Amino acid sequence: MRGLFRDAALLLTVALVLGTGANLVPARHLPWWGKGHEPPRAGTDFNLIDPGSADALRTSLPEVAFLDTRSPVEFAAGHVPGARPIDYTEVQAQLTPERLRQLRTADAVIVYGAGDEIEVEQLLAQELQRQGLPPPYVLAGGFAGWQQSGLPVEGAGR
Amino acid sequence: MSWLRNPWLHRVLGVALGAIFVYAGYGKIPDPRPLVTIIWNYRVLPAGPINLMAIYMPWLELVVGLALITGFKRRAAALWTTGLLASFIVALGINALRGVNVACGCFSASAQEVHNAWLLVLRDLPMIAAAMVMLFFPPADRGRLRPGA
Repeated sequence: MRGLFRDAALLLTVALVLGTGANLVPARHLPWWGKGHEPPRAGTDFNLIDPGSADALRTSLPEVAFLDTRSPVEFAAGHVPGARPIDYTEVQAQLTPERLRQLRTADAVIVYGAGDEIEVEQLLAQELQRQGLPPPYVLAGGFAGWQQSGLPVEGAGR
Repeated sequence: MSWLRNPWLHRVLGVALGAIFVYAGYGKIPDPRPLVTIIWNYRVLPAGPINLMAIYMPWLELVVGLALITGFKRRAAALWTTGLLASFIVALGINALRGVNVACGCFSASAQEVHNAWLLVLRDLPMIAAAMVMLFFPPADRGRLRPGA
């Protein structure tokens, strides 16, 4: 029985070493203790917006910043007009002071991903809100919802 | 019940259960941050240790899964598997009793994959049964079984 627990401790040690090493990678680092990293909440960290309302904002306000979290290939295949790509896994490196200044001066910031799965977009919105922006919008349904609504697309996939 | 100690049964169960755990861990390793949201939504842990769980649990699933597949420390891996599945069943069961369906975070860190909590409990039961077979019925020592061989 002691051997069993010793082996179990060995497996745990391997997992702890790997997990610790992986969490030291800046691009995927999580604070070790949960305090201060509460999940994003609608109304506090972000607001959901449907594609039709997002397009109404785009056409009625002078400067609406769309941030596209999808892969470069997906972005190149078609995106919301005027959108800029952003990689959430390298968000700290990509949110340069210059870019943050541009986002702060925008009339609205709308984050979108590929489809219905919008947890990464919520996390990005939370990060932007922490950087001093008002709670950004997260596009419900993502780019797929935008296309299904028949809204304009820029890029190769028009 | 001697068939439960058949080494081939343990190999098959180890590969099957191990593959499930490797797949489960691998899907969550690239970005643990969405997993924080999922664990939070279970509402069974205080805020503090949630990040630690999101950091280490996918790696534990991966290591345990590989151990089950390869047979390296398989019984110890079965001990961890039993413990992990028991904790998942308890967390899911609490939410099922609350009437809350949660995104389980079983095979991905997608907070959108909301399932019926009772169905998730049912899905875990055969897996914990397999893990308990490997834990409590280790293959018999061939030397003891066939002393003359």
